[in-house]
Amino acid sequence: MRPLDPRLLRTSRAARRYVVLTALLGGATAVLVVVQSLLLARAVAGVTMRGDAWSDVATSAGWLAVVLALRVGVVWVQERFAHRAATQTIGQLRAAVVAHAARLGRRGLGDRSVAVTELSTRGLDGLEGYLVTYLPQLLLAALLPPALLLVMLRADLLAVATIALTLPLVPLFMALVGWATRDAALRRQDSLQALGAQVLDLVAGLPTLRALGRATGQASRVRAAGDAARAATGATLRMAFLSSLVLEVLTTLSVALVAVGVGLRLVSGSLDLETALVVLLLAPEVYLPLRAVGASFHASADGVAAAEQAFAVLETPLPAAPAREPGRADGAPVRLVDVSVEQPGRGVLAPAGLSMSLAPGRIVALAGPNGCGKSTAAAVLLGLAAPTSGTAVPVAHRRVAWVPQRPLVVPGTLADNVRLATPDADDAALERAAERVGLAPVVAERGWDAPLGQGGVGVSAGQRQRVALARVLLRVEAGADVVVLDEPTAHLDAGTEAVVLATIRELAAAGCAVLVVAHRPELLAVADEVVAVRSAAVDAAAPAVPAPTRPGDDLSPTTSDDTKDGALCVS
Amino acid sequence: MRLVSLPRRVRSAVLADPAVRALAMLDLPRWRLAGAVGAGSLALGCAVGLAATSAWLIARAAEQPPVLALSVAVVCVRALGLGRGVFRYVERLVSHDVALRGVVDLREGVYRRLAAADTSAVARLRRGDLLARLGADVDALADLVVRVLLPALVALVTGLATVVLATALLPAAGAVLAAALLVAGVGAPLLAGRAARAAEVEAADARGAVAAESLAVLDGADELAVAGQLTARQDALASAQARLDEAAERAARPAAAAKALVQLALGAAVVGSLVVGVPAASDGALSAVHFVVVALLPLAAFEGVAALPAAATSLVRCRAAAARVLALVDGAPTAAPVVEQTPDGTTIRARGLSVGWPGAAPVLTGLDLDLEPGATLAITGPSGCGKTTLLLTLAGLIPPVAGTVTVGGVPVHELSDDQRRGLVALAAEDGHLFATTLRENLRLASGAVDDAVLLAALGQVGLAAWATALPEGLGTVLGSAGTDVSGGERRRLLVARALLTGAPVVLLDEPAEHLDAGAATAVLDELLTGVEGRTVAVATHRSDRALADAVVEMAPAGRCR
Repeated sequence: MRPLDPRLLRTSRAARRYVVLTALLGGATAVLVVVQSLLLARAVAGVTMRGDAWSDVATSAGWLAVVLALRVGVVWVQERFAHRAATQTIGQLRAAVVAHAARLGRRGLGDRSVAVTELSTRGLDGLEGYLVTYLPQLLLAALLPPALLLVMLRADLLAVATIALTLPLVPLFMALVGWATRDAALRRQDSLQALGAQVLDLVAGLPTLRALGRATGQASRVRAAGDAARAATGATLRMAFLSSLVLEVLTTLSVALVAVGVGLRLVSGSLDLETALVVLLLAPEVYLPLRAVGASFHASADGVAAAEQAFAVLETPLPAAPAREPGRADGAPVRLVDVSVEQPGRGVLAPAGLSMSLAPGRIVALAGPNGCGKSTAAAVLLGLAAPTSGTAVPVAHRRVAWVPQRPLVVPGTLADNVRLATPDADDAALERAAERVGLAPVVAERGWDAPLGQGGVGVSAGQRQRVALARVLLRVEAGADVVVLDEPTAHLDAGTEAVVLATIRELAAAGCAVLVVAHRPELLAVADEVVAVRSAAVDAAAPAVPAPTRPGDDLSPTTSDDTKDGALCVS
Repeated sequence: MRLVSLPRRVRSAVLADPAVRALAMLDLPRWRLAGAVGAGSLALGCAVGLAATSAWLIARAAEQPPVLALSVAVVCVRALGLGRGVFRYVERLVSHDVALRGVVDLREGVYRRLAAADTSAVARLRRGDLLARLGADVDALADLVVRVLLPALVALVTGLATVVLATALLPAAGAVLAAALLVAGVGAPLLAGRAARAAEVEAADARGAVAAESLAVLDGADELAVAGQLTARQDALASAQARLDEAAERAARPAAAAKALVQLALGAAVVGSLVVGVPAASDGALSAVHFVVVALLPLAAFEGVAALPAAATSLVRCRAAAARVLALVDGAPTAAPVVEQTPDGTTIRARGLSVGWPGAAPVLTGLDLDLEPGATLAITGPSGCGKTTLLLTLAGLIPPVAGTVTVGGVPVHELSDDQRRGLVALAAEDGHLFATTLRENLRLASGAVDDAVLLAALGQVGLAAWATALPEGLGTVLGSAGTDVSGGERRRLLVARALLTGAPVVLLDEPAEHLDAGAATAVLDELLTGVEGRTVAVATHRSDRALADAVVEMAPAGRCR
């Protein structure tokens, strides 16, 4: 990312306002620094050269106090609004990323979904350091030196020349040092991570070592790995500190050279004390923002990287089809005719050539081995995925109640969660639904106001499924007549499974068209029709045979679901 | 840390502070630390000295003396200009070295402590928690040295030196500077600390809510879209964000006040120095040259204290990390000294045994059990019913809630680590495979035995073919490129490792998890019938109990049937 990425300004209104405010405050700082130096130099020179008494310098001192008070104000305003602008900017960026990612969907994000989650929940917070510390100094570094040099130009040409010559050396030398150490730093980075990982590996294994009775001997290994990591870190830091050494030496030495030059010109009488003092006071201020930028550069790196990632997500084009709200299928029978969907990167059609239809009062089950495209078929029916070939008449969203494999639990109360799809449902409806899906005991024990945490903390898989089913009942009460359930009995104990099966039968009896993605024989048994879903290689009509995961593995690993279900395959 | 002069109550409160305790545990070498403080003070001193000397140089030069009279000052100014960067470099190297060494010491110390602690304290540690506390949290304590202790000491030393210099020139100016430095050096860090606590505590909740709402939208985008609730959920995210904005706003107020206070103190010192300096210069108490130094010194005097608000912020973070690390230490009391009892045989006997996590309700009560050497036991029941807890109790890693469980007549929980190693081996379901070779992972249990023994054990769990097919066989580093270990393989490696201990009692937690039905049956068959002469207890949620000599069937409610 460039020092100030225009995309950041385009995406976030708060960032735009903040940059303008910071630039204005930077300008004000420049003016105040100049006035402060002029006033102080005049007062000090007056006392020293002309023997001014307090009454002579009182006015200058008074104005100096005003200027210093204004600088206090500028510092306060900058700091006060920097944090606010930072959280707002991060919030706006986060909202944009979340909205865009939601429109892309899991399918659109592919293997980036974990990274996007990390970015939205934590990564973007790294921008705070960039916005609060780095950016203001960057703007100051752009504004202050030219303004101050301009003022000094009137005072002492030689000092300006000294500064103008040394100032560009700062970024130049820092770039040179950075360039010279970068390869070594990158080389070390890997070994550093490896050494750090070694320490953590021993730490993670502590309970295991305890269980084997082998823990006591390992502390020295923790030390050895830690010492190795420390040595590598130290070597890296020595290089990292080099650039700041160059920065500090160049800036301070330049100020010293300016002071010496001015002093010698004073002796020769070619300069008066007041001018000399102005130069002496302004010279360090020229270098100050540059030093601050150098010091905060590393602190801002995380945030900049996060922003890069965010823009990469935002610049991912949205898929053209399907529309989120199919709509057109209202009243028409929901069906798939010879539908195939190509799975990106796998070279298979899953499902391949699937035809099926839903009808009121009927329970249709989709069955087949893992990865054959059952869930994708459901997604096509819901209008969430587009068929590669074939015809799909998806269901309008307002007609459907859908429970995906792992139903969502949102932060909020139990009641909030049951009402998720039907926010207007009244308490009586809630109670009825809870009674029918066996959620009533949970309500009795914990109450409707029981908080459910992030990712469903505090709910078991069975309770989660019951909450999802209660949602379905409320949704059906509100007019939905198509119900799609993706493996509704996976991970459930026998008691919850019986409740789910009974609810499915009730829904069908009440006239709903029900589609279940099914693995277990108990679930298949309640279906009026079982549709076998199969997959096929893209370039062949023959069904794809799932390859063994690893050569030489005599016990091919399968998911635990399959184990429980006795590896049911219909193909 | 020596705090003898403080009243006892204050002293004990200070010593109990997590940051102080952590600092003590870092065990910093005093001379090196003093060296870092010295270098840092010299670096800042160079900056103050540069300002003072160049002010003197210019004021003296204005009197147009012979150039020779200035030569010492000229050399000083140049040297000070160079010294600042060099001393700063030295300070950073030394302080980071001290801090990193301290961190290594601390980590080793905590590790030793946990290695020697009561087993039940260690058995209950979750791996993620352990990694976070012994990893990132311990690393964060380096900041306690580099970002908290050092800036504070450097600011103190340079502040004092600057005040001494000003007092030497004009006592009143020294007093002004001292007062201003004190206000900035104490008030600003206090305000910044308050801001940091607000940010850590209040904003942390709001931040959690934002993360949770983001996650809900990202995870449930499709579901929410179908339910027509995507917009509503994004609104919920927006309002969580608004709460975070408010919390940040509240934290920003003291933070801004802290920065402004430093600037205010600086301004007051500049004006105050003029107020006391000008009359002194007028009545001749202060020479013209010294007046210039007095007037300009305050501008350079605040760099040290200006770093203190950031130090206070770091302190708040370090203290939280220190508290988490210390909780780990405090939560793991040293094991009670073991009275060595020698077990007579390897028969396992439980009488009226109740098991459960210390402090939690028991998951199983009233178990009577006799396992003669060579007997096999299946512990069955749905997941989450406490099979693992029973195994940990049988292994002596957590004490029984009530009743007794003995091996060879000695309570298993009272065995020393060495004794336990020779008697009981447990393959826990979350057992750790180290990032080293397969051979080393197995030898961890067996000691140095040859490959044939290792391969035989792997054969017992159906992994012999897998192991020989690895790129470098037993020498393959687990988890390295292309050798990811699947869930089922991992489980069976842990079983093989438990078998390799040679312990006469082997406790296995879900050895057949992640396997399909046929493979699982084969593994369980082998373990329950093929391990000659050893007592084997297997926890499984499957119901292959026919092969076991005894069965403990656990119900979700925690009764054994």
